[in-house]
Amino acid sequence: MPEFRQDPVIGRWVIISIERARRPGNFIDPINRRRRDDDQVCDLCVKPESPVYTMGDICVVRSRQSSATSGPQAPNGQNGLYEVIKDVGIHETIIETPDHVSNMADLPVGRIREIVQTYVARFNEIEQNTRLTHALIYKNYGLSQFAHHACSHIMAMPVASLEITEKLSGAQQYFRDHKRCVYCDLVEREIKDKKRIVVETDDFLAVVPFAARFLFETWIIPKKHHADFAQGVRGQEEGLARIFKIVLQKIKNGLDDTAYNWVIQTAPFRRQDAVRGKWQTIDVDYHWHVELIPRLTRMAGFEKGSGFYICAIPPEEMAEYLRDKEI
Amino acid sequence: MAELRRNPLNGQWVIVHVEDSWGPEKYEREDHSILAKATCQFCSGREFFTPPEIEALRPIGSAANSPGWQVRVIPNKFPALRIEGNLDLRHDGMYTLSNGIGAHEVFIETPAHERNLADLNDDEMFHVIDKYQSRLNDLTKDRRFKYVLIFKNYGESAGTTVEHPHSQIIALPMVPQYVMQELEGTKAYYDRYQRCVCCDMITQEYRDGARVITDNAQFLAFCPFASGYPFECCIIPRAHTCRFDTMNDGEKRVLGNILRETLARIKGCLGDPSYNLYIHVAPVNDGPHEHFHWHIEIVPKLMRTVGLERGTGFFSVPTDPDHAARYLREAAVAARR
Repeated sequence: MPEFRQDPVIGRWVIISIERARRPGNFIDPINRRRRDDDQVCDLCVKPESPVYTMGDICVVRSRQSSATSGPQAPNGQNGLYEVIKDVGIHETIIETPDHVSNMADLPVGRIREIVQTYVARFNEIEQNTRLTHALIYKNYGLSQFAHHACSHIMAMPVASLEITEKLSGAQQYFRDHKRCVYCDLVEREIKDKKRIVVETDDFLAVVPFAARFLFETWIIPKKHHADFAQGVRGQEEGLARIFKIVLQKIKNGLDDTAYNWVIQTAPFRRQDAVRGKWQTIDVDYHWHVELIPRLTRMAGFEKGSGFYICAIPPEEMAEYLRDKEI
Repeated sequence: MAELRRNPLNGQWVIVHVEDSWGPEKYEREDHSILAKATCQFCSGREFFTPPEIEALRPIGSAANSPGWQVRVIPNKFPALRIEGNLDLRHDGMYTLSNGIGAHEVFIETPAHERNLADLNDDEMFHVIDKYQSRLNDLTKDRRFKYVLIFKNYGESAGTTVEHPHSQIIALPMVPQYVMQELEGTKAYYDRYQRCVCCDMITQEYRDGARVITDNAQFLAFCPFASGYPFECCIIPRAHTCRFDTMNDGEKRVLGNILRETLARIKGCLGDPSYNLYIHVAPVNDGPHEHFHWHIEIVPKLMRTVGLERGTGFFSVPTDPDHAARYLREAAVAARR
């Protein structure tokens, strides 16, 4: 019998298909991977001319698409019913290494720690622009339109996406109902249950979520409560680097070097109470974390049209598979 | 230059590239060669390979599960959900789960393997829509269900595994997230302005004109201002209605006309791309949802490697919807039949 499971933060339902289950070992044909490590010159191998930031040989460059004014007089527009913001915010690329290494899983822990420190530095800098409300740090690995040179991105926007707003609202609602942080509860529960844990370290927990949408979706959650990535990770940069490395290696080795995305989910900027608006209680409600999604399945009409996902393997089996995968 | 646009139905912000907007030639073409006709279980004459039919349009007197049908509805052989049992919603500490009850059926749109929904004639199209409505109404009678989603995946990269023209219907005991977002967004607008946001949108689309693809007496096809995907199309009844279930034959016929024409324009303009199509109707069995305005969304699958929206929730659209609509308007299509 298939099962419906509800995400405890957003309230989104997924179908966990138990009898149709494909066995985890069958994933040797990731559909989105069409990597061309051929003789093309890699743009990112060339040292950038005007990086906006450097740490050692990690370089941060700003994308041409970036446009962000600061202050309230930004060029907003209204087209009748439709709202438009001409200012799309800031987009930067973090070139993680000058060497042509493609998967972050292959970088040493020390390097990943420096990358995390670079994220924090950029995050703090971007937060100074009072026009921007929220920043996301993310990576797309192994998708053909991107260079296969290890890089990640930071995107800061004047608005939050619907998905993030729902996550923040969901966590806020859970706190109102239970007077506890949903992610702290989740960490406690998952440590007790054990069966969805991919790896546990002193400071972090990596789990396949109870209501996983995608095959081998993995969340990395800090055990210490903090709404904000840049502040919360302070003193734990090494710990985050270590668990990142372990999880990415397990994904690489266990899933035939599949393409993946990950995103660091963090609270909106909280510069002063006046601009917090709806998020007055965000410091207690929300808990930063990383969401990692291997690209093993296509989204078809049902998912795209409904937001209702079908996951073909029970999360417990996926976690077991990754847990047992040697690195 | 890019800009952020807010979808007035659900509040989603999308990044639209209004300068350097991509034309159809910038997207990869996909091959839809017919490969599996010899073994296709949906073809006429192979009815015994499928589960027994639920409904079919066939000559009076012809036996069920025999050849001669025009549209055939069968249970999905590999259903995502099971029809038996009652919803057993339960808590397990902080988590909530239930057994997976639901219905999952397949519409075989035509007995002809090589045909394409865009190539059906108006009569055939009418019968497909008629069956959509008939199954929706029948599944709605089951009080366990709160939502019925009709959708179609065309082409391999849109997720289909069967070549033969078909669409699907899934009945669910809960309302899906995206529909909930639209219900809440349209309700909030209604509460504030005492008007339907879709009706206002239709008025504005006619006034602007730039994003209109085509229309007829009862329906409008346009590219939404805040499309989440390039060349996304929306077909919507021009007059306010939350009811798909009560459309009469005349309405179903003109819906078939505009759906066929829109699909033919997509095919002509973008070289027969894969696409997903879904019908957003109001939830069933817990209405009324009078503020809701049902519509069809068609999303051509043009980029195989989109990644931004997964996780970040931001959609990035390389083609300005104004341009997409112009290309679709100018696409050569066969004369209406």
